[in-house]
Amino acid sequence: MSTEPIASMPRAGRIHRRALLRGAAGLAAGAALGGLRLRSALALAAGANGAAVHAPLPAHFPPRATSLIMVYLTGGFSHLDTFDPKERLKKDHGKIVAAESLRETSQMPILASPFEFRPRGRSGLIVSELFPRLGDWADDLCVIRTLHTDIVEHFQGTLAMHTGSATVPLPSLGSWLSYGLGTYNPNLPPYVVLAEHLPYAGAQVWDSSFLPAEHQGVRIIPGERPVADLDPLPRPATLRQLEENMLRDVDRIHASLRPGDGRLVARSRSFDVARGMMVEAPEVFDLSREAPSTLEEYGVQRGDVKSVAWQCIIARRLVERGVRVVEVIDTGSHDNWDSHGNMQDHRPKAARVDRALGALIGDLKRRGLLDATLIMIATEFGRTPWANDAGGKGRNHWAKAFTCLLAGAGVRGGIAYGETDEYGATIARNPVHVHDYHATILHLLGIEHTMLTYRYAGRDFRLTDVSGRVVTEVLA
Amino acid sequence: MRNAAPLLLLSLLCARGTNTVSCGEPHWAFQPIVKPEPPPDPSGTSAHPVDRFILAKLRERSISQGAPADKAALCRRAYFGLTGLPPSPGELDAFLTDTSSDAFPHLVDSLLASPRFGERWARRWLDVARYADTAGDNADFPVPEARLYRDYVIAAFNSDKPFDAFVREQVAGDILAREGPREKYAESVAATGFLALSRRYGTGPYELWHLTLEDSIETIGRAFLGLTLRCARCHDHKYDPVTMRDYYALYGILASTRFPWAGSEEVQSKGLCRMKFPPLVPTAEAAPVLQAFEKRLESLRSDIARMEKETPKPEEMLKATRAELRNLEKPGLPPDLAGAYAVDEGDPADAAVQLQGEPGHPGPVIPRGAPAFLPGGGPLAIAMGSSGRRELAEWLTRPDQPLVARVEANRIWQGLFGKGIVSTASNFGLRGEPPTHPELLDWLAAELVDGGWSVKRIIRLIATSRTYCLSSAEVPVASAADPANALYWRFDRRRLEAEELRDAVLATSGSLDLTPSSPHPFPGPEKWTWTQHAPFKEVYASPRRSIYVMTQRIQRHPFLALFDGPDTNATTESRRESTVPLQALYFLNDPTLDAEARAFAKRVLASSGDERGRVKFAVSAAWAREPREAEIERAAEFLQSCGAALDAAGFDAAKKAEEVWTSYARVLLASNEFAYVD
Repeated sequence: MSTEPIASMPRAGRIHRRALLRGAAGLAAGAALGGLRLRSALALAAGANGAAVHAPLPAHFPPRATSLIMVYLTGGFSHLDTFDPKERLKKDHGKIVAAESLRETSQMPILASPFEFRPRGRSGLIVSELFPRLGDWADDLCVIRTLHTDIVEHFQGTLAMHTGSATVPLPSLGSWLSYGLGTYNPNLPPYVVLAEHLPYAGAQVWDSSFLPAEHQGVRIIPGERPVADLDPLPRPATLRQLEENMLRDVDRIHASLRPGDGRLVARSRSFDVARGMMVEAPEVFDLSREAPSTLEEYGVQRGDVKSVAWQCIIARRLVERGVRVVEVIDTGSHDNWDSHGNMQDHRPKAARVDRALGALIGDLKRRGLLDATLIMIATEFGRTPWANDAGGKGRNHWAKAFTCLLAGAGVRGGIAYGETDEYGATIARNPVHVHDYHATILHLLGIEHTMLTYRYAGRDFRLTDVSGRVVTEVLA
Repeated sequence: MRNAAPLLLLSLLCARGTNTVSCGEPHWAFQPIVKPEPPPDPSGTSAHPVDRFILAKLRERSISQGAPADKAALCRRAYFGLTGLPPSPGELDAFLTDTSSDAFPHLVDSLLASPRFGERWARRWLDVARYADTAGDNADFPVPEARLYRDYVIAAFNSDKPFDAFVREQVAGDILAREGPREKYAESVAATGFLALSRRYGTGPYELWHLTLEDSIETIGRAFLGLTLRCARCHDHKYDPVTMRDYYALYGILASTRFPWAGSEEVQSKGLCRMKFPPLVPTAEAAPVLQAFEKRLESLRSDIARMEKETPKPEEMLKATRAELRNLEKPGLPPDLAGAYAVDEGDPADAAVQLQGEPGHPGPVIPRGAPAFLPGGGPLAIAMGSSGRRELAEWLTRPDQPLVARVEANRIWQGLFGKGIVSTASNFGLRGEPPTHPELLDWLAAELVDGGWSVKRIIRLIATSRTYCLSSAEVPVASAADPANALYWRFDRRRLEAEELRDAVLATSGSLDLTPSSPHPFPGPEKWTWTQHAPFKEVYASPRRSIYVMTQRIQRHPFLALFDGPDTNATTESRRESTVPLQALYFLNDPTLDAEARAFAKRVLASSGDERGRVKFAVSAAWAREPREAEIERAAEFLQSCGAALDAAGFDAAKKAEEVWTSYARVLLASNEFAYVD
């Protein structure tokens, strides 16, 4: 019987979990090691690792990025009004075409974009007037114009962009990264979600599903108290210290009578981490030491604890402190980019995020963090080339072709990858399925997407299901 | 080889090269159950059949079982295991002072007879049935009637309803109700909440319906048969002999079934009403109520029509009447006719295969039936006008159906030991884990059937084995040979599940309200304006047991989410056990926990006049044992230091005792000994 998984443990005592799983997958084929044995090997591994289950783990190959900032723009921003301009829409504006929608096909007029586009940066990447500040960093942006799914509902589309699955609950991208790579700072959660409002599909968006629950995203609700139960109860500090000592004694005696149970030690240590968070987390959220010019650059007002600007500067501070994945969700399931009525409604949504996103890229770059940080800017779908309704000025949901972005470490900046047809309705060249997008992101973080698997309910699951292609053309 | 069909299919699978493990021999789980004889025990010390199976395997590996658990540990284990609550100091004392040789079997009997038993064991089934109090549509509409199914499950476990009847009622209770006694009508209808609870999608009624039925089929497969049927929606199962034909044979049965619609965004945006909630009384009794209701609606409608013609229009009155009509219509049932979130017979028809899983690409029509590779599978002889659920229910519980009894026997084992004999409790297919003790599993499954499908009987049987009563202590020699304790040389220590933890805190502090079910305080129909943009989300505070707490699908309950509660969106076979600092923060700083610590402190203060007595009571309530002398001394020192710290801080002397004991109570509630059961 092979003991290879255990033998592949690095000497430092850290567990190479994916090696363990790779070994296990190979063994499962030969049925050399029963699943129960594997499970216990995993449990032992976790136990041996103690509370340091989040300790950084080696990647499959040298990563281009060591952390990820996911910016999720909720509601489906229009590719046609942001990064994928179409002259033909102008020419055919008002022309009636057969328009597909969720339940039926109807006759709708083509709708020209009301926004101006111009080339930006040295690369001349075309960006609409909606994103003047983000456009300042055109040479760092990689626009992918050919994302596609087959889902035109917010809820399912949002899930697909996060988990690769529109229906069956599966782990989120951030959870997979936490599971696969661990994190650098044991005093902070490995996957932090900054979301003032619940997005479509709620907490399923950052859920770890069947992955161990410590990998679930920890949602921080922008506001005066971003982490629940972080503030100590109002009582004398000496009393708190006495309780801490007493609890430590009580648990030490309990564990000493129960040798060999790593879970007991791990739980005791989680109290130490919690106390660490009580000290460290408030500092993360305290912007008083940020230079006024930096705050100004992001657009954080004095006393602001909620804006996207605040979320973006906190994202940088979290990445700076070793958090593996930070997700910024711009708004919730209402008052978002879902501009059915009038594309002009995109203006305030863009204004909410443009300056902060531009500042985030600039700030990371200045601090040298952009060399190790990948930024993704995503949405659940794009919008139709025709109007939402006869005589309307808005657009309906459209998932057959839409735009998402990458920027930062390892990404070829200043390019638009993939081509849509002259109306922006279908993909003409180089489609990028959400699984391809995820595979590319994992690749940049040093993970071979087919090898990051987790055995659950009798099968090896992965983020990219049974497909996914690394879009090598967008790699620097 | 007893059954040719599975072998044939397996060989086809092998030909496809999808399975390299079991070729050449039929998969164990699909074979008939033949009750094995418990192996002899050469030592002659163990008469219990469960122990004989366990010891035989240990002997093969030359491992000895460890010592039995001490009495206090056993008491706490049995209380949590059977009722999900800790023993009170009085209950602990009663057991410790009962020195009769059958004290433990007596305890097991009394716990099985307690109403708390059903509340604990129903929770496990509700995990499997992906129970929630909301529908899961994009606006997550509340379903006030869902709790009738929850209460049905609790009552079923408490009354020890035979498990085969439990299965049949959940699949076809509405049909069985028409033939059964009048007083059982309501519960039998409510039982089909199992199907009605299928996950909803989208913003309108029956949107993406093929996905809802996929959840029904997958949950039926996993819950009863331990089979993952979902894969066969788009292609023949890659590993198990489940084909697309099998999937669409079941699909036809469910598509012929009428599901209720609990509302969604389109209640608001399109003025739709809830619909198809079956009444809890037979049709003949419901008819006059429905007629009277229809009359009332008609009269309101004609009032509105009349007012609309008047000049000037009585705007206020018109508005009020319209609102009255709308609020009466919205629930989909008259206010004086209770309904269930349950299913009914629809328009029976066979379904066509959906090529690539796409409803828009129909393939051949498949006769309704059950998975063909299992005994009696294939097309079922379905009565005219019936969906086929009744026939499916009967097929599931046929005497030669090997999976239902095996799966349930395994779930009972998992409920007591924290892990199944098959560790993938809802997957007995080729990609599930093989059983650690196949003969024991078959013996238990046969025993379950032989005992009239009595769940309590099997629980009692297992709980009174020596194996269940083992100490959880480490035995280094055994641990080296079998680190995962797959062979049961000890009892696995386990962490309390989310509901147990919450209930234990409330029970220890004395705040737990043991009143059973009552309706959740959902807002009335006039406030049903939720949309996907502003979905329903509430957390209702409650001093009741956690099984009665309102849980949602899109938003998770914060406490249950923090402590690894079940996924309310998909069938859950076992709980995760995460250890994150946010959980520790809850014990350190949460105001709710602080209030419970304070209540516990008051209870401790009232328990005895002296410090020693109080420490004894506190330790008994939190840890269910006597404190050791050194612990009493350490507690005394702690209490004194806390007092001194408060004095130094100028704390109000009158409140000092409560404050000091609250600190002690908090330490006990936060301790590992509280969170883990030996």
